[in-house]
Amino acid sequence: MEINSRPVIVKRMPERVNARTAREFLQDVQPFLTADRPQIVFDLSQVKQLDSSGVEMLLRCMSEAHKRDGDLKLAAPSAQASVVLELTRTERLFEIYDTSTDAARSFSGFLPNALRQQLLHQKQSPPATLAA
Amino acid sequence: MDIRALVLVNQSTEVLADPLPFSSLPPALLEVAGKTPLERTIERLLRFGIQPITVISDSASPLSAYASDGSGPIYVNSTRELFWRAAESSFNDLIQEGAELVVVLSLGAYAEIDFEKMVQFHLDQHARVTQACTEAKALEVFCISASRRNDAASLFRSQLTKCRSECPLFAHTGYTNQLKDARDLRQFAIDILTLKTETRPAGSEVRPGIWVEQGALVEKGARLVAPAFIGAFAKIRTHAVITRCSSVEHHAQIDCGTVAENSTVLPYCRVGACLDVAHSVVGTATITNLRRDVTVEILDTKLVSYVLATPGNRLMRAAAELVSFLPKQMWQGLFGGRKPQQPDLQAALQQTSPSLGGAAGYETPACDTDAAEKFPSNLAIVRRYGNQ
Repeated sequence: MEINSRPVIVKRMPERVNARTAREFLQDVQPFLTADRPQIVFDLSQVKQLDSSGVEMLLRCMSEAHKRDGDLKLAAPSAQASVVLELTRTERLFEIYDTSTDAARSFSGFLPNALRQQLLHQKQSPPATLAA
Repeated sequence: MDIRALVLVNQSTEVLADPLPFSSLPPALLEVAGKTPLERTIERLLRFGIQPITVISDSASPLSAYASDGSGPIYVNSTRELFWRAAESSFNDLIQEGAELVVVLSLGAYAEIDFEKMVQFHLDQHARVTQACTEAKALEVFCISASRRNDAASLFRSQLTKCRSECPLFAHTGYTNQLKDARDLRQFAIDILTLKTETRPAGSEVRPGIWVEQGALVEKGARLVAPAFIGAFAKIRTHAVITRCSSVEHHAQIDCGTVAENSTVLPYCRVGACLDVAHSVVGTATITNLRRDVTVEILDTKLVSYVLATPGNRLMRAAAELVSFLPKQMWQGLFGGRKPQQPDLQAALQQTSPSLGGAAGYETPACDTDAAEKFPSNLAIVRRYGNQ
């Protein structure tokens, strides 16, 4: 049983996110955003400078992802990025994780408990061929 | 008894080495609740009758804003290399003018020392040099007898680190702030506003715990929550909130809807609209966040910018903005992109949802009561709450 076959895209953001680089970055991620139910993680660990156009771009990406029933999550924000996100009151709009791995894992974290138990049971029980 | 004071203001080497300092000025020259620590120290010295006062600064700490008018302190600017030599020379000048005792302070730390007790202690001990100290560490505050020029010279040559002879320590128990970094500066503002210090905020207390200096503009709809300080000619725009010991220094601006919480906005800084400044010290192009212990350079003028220092320049900028406003509006009106038309709600509801249709195989409108029955409600709830 396949639970989440859709890929999670992890994209690292550039060191300086200003109007120009934000536009370029948006062009880069546009194909992922326009996919069906996109699952995207932006890694902000390298970001040393983030301005209002960068924040605007993040919000736009999130809005695009939500439009298509997907989600955008942020991972490992640097101190600089965190300060700007906090300053612009946008940190509360995003789900922010310590690492990209945590963020990527979180996409499959909303499974109903019953389904999760079923999965766990399937993993634990040996395959039928071996039992025979 | 002729007691005079020599106040030394120089930028520490640690601050100079910092690639991104929160301010180009040393903390002693930064306004905190309307006055610099230097001004507060001078006021204190004058209150104890210690005058005249000579203030020496190095090139990294210009005293151009302070003018010597003859009656007040004498301000001397020196180069960084010759700073200690200038201090020694000024000390000798004070003695030649008839001083019997010289109080030497280096800012640095702000300490509310009882100079009367310290001088009395110095005389009782028959000491050449007396140094003030707290429980934790020694302060750079000395009482030097006029007859001990060599001791003074030795002290200045060692940059106040070494005393030639044994130096009794005067225990200071009053308020002290090291003023080393942005955190200390912020703590100093909190202490002044919560009246933990003997020194008080500048301006008048318009409501309990709210001090406003002359010329400050607080627009209708802005909220000031005590304790707070608004400096001279500062502007607090509508729906801004200043709260939790925040201090907005002179000529600073807080734009519409911005919340300043437990923060200091340094002079001539402008904070943009609808922002949330918390636990921070805002400089002209920097924000020091005290929770994260980081100084961030902000080059985006929408977030943080500076207000021009001279009124003429401010007038010119305002005029240029006014002149360019109408043509800009006309241009946008003529050539600006049309606003996307709002889709009809009923039509939108009848449209097939692309994500639902393609992915789940439901060829249904986005809102269809029949389809809703087919669609399991528990799954819809899971989706609504996501992974929380």
